[in-house]
Amino acid sequence: MTATYALKRLAMAVPTLLLVAVAVFALLRLVPGDPAQLMLGDAADADQLAALRESMGLNHALPVQFANWLGAALRGDLGHSLANGQAVLPLILERFQVTASIVLLAVALAALIAIPLGTIAAWKQNSALDVAVVGGATLLLSIPSFWLGLLLLLFFGLKLGWVPVVGYVGFGESPWQALLYIVLPVVTLTLIETGVLTRMARSAAIDVLRLEYVAHARSKGLRESTVLRRHVLPNAFAPTLTLLGIVLGNLLGGIAVIETVFTIPGLGRLLVDGIYARDYPVVQGTMLFVAAIYVVVNLLTDLLYPFFDPRVAAE
Amino acid sequence: MKTSSFLAGLAAAVLCVLPAMAQEPLRASLNSDIRSTQPGGNRDFNTDSVVLHMVEGLVALDERAMPVPMLAEKVDVSPDGRTYTFTLRQGVTFHNGVPLTSAEVLWSLRRYMDPATQWRCLPDLNGRTGLAKVTEMAAPDARTMTVTLEKPAALFLSILARPDCGETGILHPSSVGADGAWIKPVGTGPFMMGEWRRGQFVELDRFDGYVSLPGERDGFAGGKQALVPKVRFVVIPDSSAAKAALLAGNVDVLTDVPSPELPDLRARADVTVLAAPTMGVTGLLMQTRDPLLKDARIRQAIALSLDVPELVSAMIGDDAPANASPLPSASAFRSDAQTGRPARDIAAAKRLLAQAGYRGQTIRMITNRRYPNVYDAAVATQAMAAEAGIKIELEVLDWATQLDRYTRGDYQMMSFIYSPRLDPSLSYEMLSGPKDMQPRKVWEDPQALALIQQSMTATDSAARQRIFDELYKLFMTQVPMIVLYNQPDYLAFRKGVRGAKPWAAGQTRLWNVSRD
Repeated sequence: MTATYALKRLAMAVPTLLLVAVAVFALLRLVPGDPAQLMLGDAADADQLAALRESMGLNHALPVQFANWLGAALRGDLGHSLANGQAVLPLILERFQVTASIVLLAVALAALIAIPLGTIAAWKQNSALDVAVVGGATLLLSIPSFWLGLLLLLFFGLKLGWVPVVGYVGFGESPWQALLYIVLPVVTLTLIETGVLTRMARSAAIDVLRLEYVAHARSKGLRESTVLRRHVLPNAFAPTLTLLGIVLGNLLGGIAVIETVFTIPGLGRLLVDGIYARDYPVVQGTMLFVAAIYVVVNLLTDLLYPFFDPRVAAE
Repeated sequence: MKTSSFLAGLAAAVLCVLPAMAQEPLRASLNSDIRSTQPGGNRDFNTDSVVLHMVEGLVALDERAMPVPMLAEKVDVSPDGRTYTFTLRQGVTFHNGVPLTSAEVLWSLRRYMDPATQWRCLPDLNGRTGLAKVTEMAAPDARTMTVTLEKPAALFLSILARPDCGETGILHPSSVGADGAWIKPVGTGPFMMGEWRRGQFVELDRFDGYVSLPGERDGFAGGKQALVPKVRFVVIPDSSAAKAALLAGNVDVLTDVPSPELPDLRARADVTVLAAPTMGVTGLLMQTRDPLLKDARIRQAIALSLDVPELVSAMIGDDAPANASPLPSASAFRSDAQTGRPARDIAAAKRLLAQAGYRGQTIRMITNRRYPNVYDAAVATQAMAAEAGIKIELEVLDWATQLDRYTRGDYQMMSFIYSPRLDPSLSYEMLSGPKDMQPRKVWEDPQALALIQQSMTATDSAARQRIFDELYKLFMTQVPMIVLYNQPDYLAFRKGVRGAKPWAAGQTRLWNVSRD
């Protein structure tokens, strides 16, 4: 049953991905400027430009270019970067690993902090603690990530010198070094996502705390901690899970600002650099990959949902 | 006891760390990753900077951007100006230990002249751009290489030496595979290819077999010593992060220092900032085919409304002087005849506008934020011109879009930055030409075009000087463009770094640079 549902959802994703591919291709071509021109700079003459465009395959009619690209993409070949000739799919996967390691760590930490914090704030609704949590969460989600990142970088990297300011080392190379390099991006992202998730967790917990079964549990004489842990937290988690899925999908698609500030070679920076360089295969491939990530994360969220809210499975 | 153990531990830790620091590569920032390691192939400014640590050409640019012998011991030109004979230096070896001979030079030049290589400068040497046409290449003996041109070309050596041509770097054939596919540069430079982690860094290793020219560093020529075992170019796209990296000691040399960061960096005792005017030109382009701006009086009025020395001083202080000429202030052909610029005269500007029938129509000026000085110049121009009653509206675009509009000639005014042109003929050629064929060109006066063509074939320096002086007069009368200044190249480096120096071509040089 679940497998059929998953397959159905995946099949439904095909038109979405196709639409994304068409939209990205069309929008990119609508933006003025082309990669050949950027490569040759202000010294480009018409002949040189035409020759380079030809070698890049940009002189074909747009439908032909799209058909060529889509045909190759269906065979798993997203083409080669116009900027440096690298194959796009391995490039995306390499960069995605970097982004995913930061995002998964940050979202897990944020969820571990935000869900209990939001639940406690809901339990103590309208108290000083609640006001402090809501105020803190609002502040965190209002702070621009680049600003928070720069502040952390200046304080911990520059003033205290505890962590390197730029660079990246993979976990496979040196786990300790890797941790040193990603700690600030992870903290930045964790703080911001904690703000987002705390508000949702609090709101969901407030709704659950008002339900009759919670009153019933309390009337049975259960301790408040037991009520919260056993009855409120699991039932309030389902809406937070939806948000968690959206957040995860969003962040896995690239954390360009944070990656730029901390000089992390992730998916977001690949996309931004690709856009500035009008590197069409890289931008098209990355956007398609990001759309696929959204589809997969949302599918996983939907599949997990019944575990936290059995009514969904029943429906 | 506890204290002494702690101190002993601390000392041991310090002793462990110190050698590690000494082995750290000399690190310089790059604002974007290199595009490839092929000289003059898939390239940009950063690519040239890195590649020219590994490869060298027969000739190279000196500190004033003039071509001088590098791998060639001497260059002889035949009396008819068509045949160049390069006598190679002795004792030079490639990174793989193989001695340099004319066979490798011939192989390299043939490879560059093959369209399949997609060498950037091929059109300049196969006659397509009219600058030079190579008709024959030969290696009569192991130390001699000859190149014959269809007709004399004043720019031939300059083209060979250009950084964007990869200095026409001489490579060992093992740089490519059996199928001709590029592997890595096996050149003769003071550093050789180490590790390239895309998006992160490019590391080069010292070439212990390097044979240096005598004397001091001189542009891309002169004496070169690799004073550190490794150099690393670290990719840091964000300028604030790059500055933080310098201050935290994560990089030793900060290249492409953004102007807003300069005052803070200059105020620090642990950082040195040096500046040198480059051959690049910052200025205001005017579309001479625009219904409004085709009237030279309006263009002259805009020029008269600007206090250029003040504008330049406000933007870059004393780091580079205001310059009215398309020839860079560092050019060897920049004479006293090319220094005059009419002073700001609002009344005269208003008179010219009245004569031209200007009635306050809006002039749109394109600019961008990628180059902060270009944007600042546009804002200052807008304010100064307003005092003469000229209404300028800014259109801020991203660089790729601005470049597209420039290439199509689709603009009224444009605050623009030209990349360095290292020969005076090219400084004029970059902005001059028939717009029907090349819409990007700014100036299409037939007299000017004829003079520029003459400058490209004249091999006598005095004759060329006269041509450039004449061109300057025409340029200042017709005002197709207002040249503001030659953008400075800034280099900031940490205390303990020695030998780092910016220069006219702008590329970073990490040879002859050491760290305490």
